[in-house]
Amino acid sequence: MSISMALFSPPISSSLQNPNLIPKISTSLLSTKRFSLISVPRASSDNGTTSPVVKIPKPASVAVEEVPVKSPAESSSASENGAVGGEATDSSTETVIKYQNAKWVNGTWDLKQFEKDGKTDWDSVIVSEAKRRKWLEDNPETTSNDELVVFDTSIIPWWAWMKRYHLPEAELLNGRAAMIGFFMAYFVDSLTGVGLVDQMGNFFCKTLLFVAVAGVLFIRKNEDLDKLKDLFDETTLYDKQWQAAWKEPDSSTVSSKK
Amino acid sequence: MATTVTLKSFTGLRQSSTEQTNFVSHVPSSLSLPQRRSSLRVTASRATPKLSNRKLRVAVIGGGPAGGAAAETLAQGGIETILIERKMDNCKPCGGAIPLCMVGEFNLPLDIIDRRVTKMKMISPSNIAVDIGRTLKEHEYIGMVRREVLDAYLRERAEKSGATVINGLFLKMDHPENWDSPYTLHYTEYDGKTGATGTKKTMEVDAVIGADGANSRVAKSIDAGDYDYAIAFQERIRIPDEKMTYYEDLAEMYVGDDVSPDFYGWVFPKCDHVAVGTGTVTHKGDIKKFQLATRNRAKDKILGGKIIRVEAHPIPEHPRPRRLSKRVALVGDAAGYVTKCSGEGIYFAAKSGRMCAEAIVEGSQNGKKMIDEGDLRKYLEKWDKTYLPTYRVLDVLQKVFYRSNPAREAFVEMCADEYVQKMTFDSYLYKRVAPGSPLEDIKLAVNTIGSLVRANALRREIEKLSV
Repeated sequence: MSISMALFSPPISSSLQNPNLIPKISTSLLSTKRFSLISVPRASSDNGTTSPVVKIPKPASVAVEEVPVKSPAESSSASENGAVGGEATDSSTETVIKYQNAKWVNGTWDLKQFEKDGKTDWDSVIVSEAKRRKWLEDNPETTSNDELVVFDTSIIPWWAWMKRYHLPEAELLNGRAAMIGFFMAYFVDSLTGVGLVDQMGNFFCKTLLFVAVAGVLFIRKNEDLDKLKDLFDETTLYDKQWQAAWKEPDSSTVSSKK
Repeated sequence: MATTVTLKSFTGLRQSSTEQTNFVSHVPSSLSLPQRRSSLRVTASRATPKLSNRKLRVAVIGGGPAGGAAAETLAQGGIETILIERKMDNCKPCGGAIPLCMVGEFNLPLDIIDRRVTKMKMISPSNIAVDIGRTLKEHEYIGMVRREVLDAYLRERAEKSGATVINGLFLKMDHPENWDSPYTLHYTEYDGKTGATGTKKTMEVDAVIGADGANSRVAKSIDAGDYDYAIAFQERIRIPDEKMTYYEDLAEMYVGDDVSPDFYGWVFPKCDHVAVGTGTVTHKGDIKKFQLATRNRAKDKILGGKIIRVEAHPIPEHPRPRRLSKRVALVGDAAGYVTKCSGEGIYFAAKSGRMCAEAIVEGSQNGKKMIDEGDLRKYLEKWDKTYLPTYRVLDVLQKVFYRSNPAREAFVEMCADEYVQKMTFDSYLYKRVAPGSPLEDIKLAVNTIGSLVRANALRREIEKLSV
């Protein structure tokens, strides 16, 4: 296992020239499920920053030795000095943090490593991908032509997504609808004496039913009410901006169209 | 007898009316009644008189693609055209991408195109990279041009067609008192001497086309109103030759919250360097941060590069509330004709300049008659009818796919699909929506929803992890 760990560490990171390599292999002996979390402390031990989550790493990569390094453009016009100034800050105390995971092979998840009882455990694939995306959101990484990321979420079958996300929410919403339905039916019956079957025949009751179902579907959290309103405004805004040219009151004898 | 006489004159009227597209504008003076028939698609106006001893004079303010195209069409249509441009060697900060149809429609010589991009890479927030361009045919490409070269070429062509090109800065204009009095333009003429303060001059013209870009002064003088705009920030970086071969015919687009909250970061190849940039509407103050992030994402591929130029420019997000007023019309960036989602503006600028000029040529019957607002409104109508669907679709795409990281992930995933690539390139390169097969469209819709659902599900997972 440790040998495969060493093989899987990507060459560009500081690990090749870094004396910390040996402690890395020993930490890899811990359970593989927590490996992606291990990459966090490993990175922090490299560069001494307190939390790797904070900033975009400074553009100083140890693996690229003598090539002048690019520096952030502090001044907007002193651009010719851009490359030269970068060398001063390239003190190589910081190293590039890259996403590492044993199961992340060649830019995609190695499904063979996710097997449980002979079948792929899609739930853990989903969770691993979520962790990877979260890591990258907090520590954006450079893309590289040597390590292309080619993972496509559609390799995870539709029923895995459904089981994990749709079904729990569907259960919740159906439960809400059932509770509302039962109590509204009881309430209307107690007020008007109309039984459930006769209620369904009434147009007003059918409308109420439709409103109840739509409400349960679209308003799942308190914030959804405002979100729906904003969404509606958003869809019509662009059109309004275009039609503004046609809303001018004309002073001449010309009649306007549209 | 009398009836046949009237019949004859009636048919005579109809015959002469077939020369113009809009016969009502050629109402002879005896029948000149203002008609207000809003149900008909016809504008009626008081008869515009023929200009007895001169041609119609039109000034085009701004010598970019819009101004150059407008001036050329006007001059070819027999109108006395004056083009006023403040900086003849202006290097407008710009992505510089033109669609294939522009080369054909505007007869551009192939040597002003520095590079032909035939491959694009879309890179998602989690660095999933998708190659697009497999569906392009041999002769199809996105042309990368240098704006100074393109603009100069179009201006030269306008000059050759008969337009007068003046190096000057438009200051303000006096509006006419009557409906047929001329506009008085105040401008500073530089006369080709750099560094000189220039001489203040005035000029009287009958109509004005405002093609002076996002900070249009013509727009201000007609109270056209404001628009939301994005800031596009770009650094031109010269990278080592071996890295440049990667970008030989490839452009990259980076999406992600780190790169831009509502737009994308790009690496576009230019003649001998690459342009790395990003843009935003909502977080303009953080543009430098976004630029750093863009450079970071492309770091390996532009390592060792030297920044040779830093530039920024506003990009309109939607048209101004008023795009014309009496005999002044706005075209191009001044009007706000930049698409959402892709931020494409060069083609639409040139096309709108041409369309507006065509409307003026038609309305004035090749410079023989005075025009009025109705003629310019025809240009607006034609423009909206032809391109509003395109703008709407791109707006929807931007709203759906640029709103959050999961949406961008879904966007990049969708771009891997061949059908999507084909439709995208067809509509971009030729500015037409080719009818795809309905079955493929349904598959595409299902796939889009699937991608969005998966990406949002992953986001919920991410949120669970952060808790």
